[in-house]
Amino acid sequence: MNAASPAAARRPAHTVLAWLALWLMAAVLLAMIVIPVYLIMPFKSQTPRAIDLAFNLKRWSPLATVLGLITMVALTIYLWRSGRWFKRTVLVMLMALAALLTWFARQNHFEWMFHPLPAAAFDKVSDATFVNDSDQVMAISVNQEAAAYPIREMAYHHVVEDTVGGVPLVATY
Amino acid sequence: MWERNVDGRTLNFHLSGINNQNFIMRDEETGSWWQQVSGQCIAGPLKGKQLQLVAHDELPFALWKHEQPEGRVLKPDERVAAQYEPVDWEDRYAKLRVITPVDPDDPLKPRDLVIGIAMNGTAKAYPMARLEKLAPVADTLGGTAIVILLDTSKKSVRAFESTVDGRALTFSVKQDTLQIADAETGSNWDFTGRATAGPLAGRQLRRVMVLKDYWFDWKIYHPDTAVY
Repeated sequence: MNAASPAAARRPAHTVLAWLALWLMAAVLLAMIVIPVYLIMPFKSQTPRAIDLAFNLKRWSPLATVLGLITMVALTIYLWRSGRWFKRTVLVMLMALAALLTWFARQNHFEWMFHPLPAAAFDKVSDATFVNDSDQVMAISVNQEAAAYPIREMAYHHVVEDTVGGVPLVATY
Repeated sequence: MWERNVDGRTLNFHLSGINNQNFIMRDEETGSWWQQVSGQCIAGPLKGKQLQLVAHDELPFALWKHEQPEGRVLKPDERVAAQYEPVDWEDRYAKLRVITPVDPDDPLKPRDLVIGIAMNGTAKAYPMARLEKLAPVADTLGGTAIVILLDTSKKSVRAFESTVDGRALTFSVKQDTLQIADAETGSNWDFTGRATAGPLAGRQLRRVMVLKDYWFDWKIYHPDTAVY
């Protein structure tokens, strides 16, 4: 028994439990983040059950990661006193992982791949030199107002919101 | 193209995932997930709701300019314009992989382009390759007589109900033009479905919504579809 770590010497079972809880928590948070990313990955086949699972994990992961992070901070503080440099390094790495997962739970990584267009801008027909005559456009006309969305732009953004003739719309491609 | 109003509330959509190679959108207001191609809510508080489809079409810019000289055009986003699809994007997309099961006996290939029409509870796919050869195509779908027209670039497709005042019309198109005429009254029509000259001048054919889609994708959402 190491006399330099009186806390660990006194309550070894508690320390082991705290480490177990810490690893378990990290594993659960990691699973909550990684599973939906994997399930709704492009070029994969999806089932309705997979969609449901991905939806629920994504829905609860922002809250779960914060609760998990708080718990892990508490466990880390508890374990810090009894740990030596090696164990402290592991603690720091687990905390960094938890912080990263908590951040990622708040990101939409699909919008990293396909830049959204939150404020779509438009030009008059005469100024639209960026479209070739032979380029295909998606076109709509509502209440005498007409708008065109060049497909080459749509195939990148995929989702463009607009209001045409007073009707709020989403153009999708 | 979907309306963003659902039960009196305007929703804001973001991309949030992929389901069998079709995008999932998430609305900011409720966090629900929506299937882009079908407009159906597939997960979340609004699950089961359906977005309202808005009539739209795909056509060459030159033709659209001619029809809508007062229209407005979506500007490129300068930050990402360099990453927009190149002019030959259609050919490259046609070579992308398909991950849903492929029926070996199916005469159509997964990435064949079809014009999908769903009306009166009936769905039918019209392969683009056949339309390019045969247009204008007259057909009856769920008891409604329709006509399918192609523009001169053979890329833009519009469909209309072909009955006016209870009278079924038979349309013909002069080769390599958009001069459309009906055999019954001899009236001339344009590509917007409006009669421009003749006894029916000023009349407007009812538009039928079409979806240009890959065959594999159309079949996922219309498993009972017929094929022209």
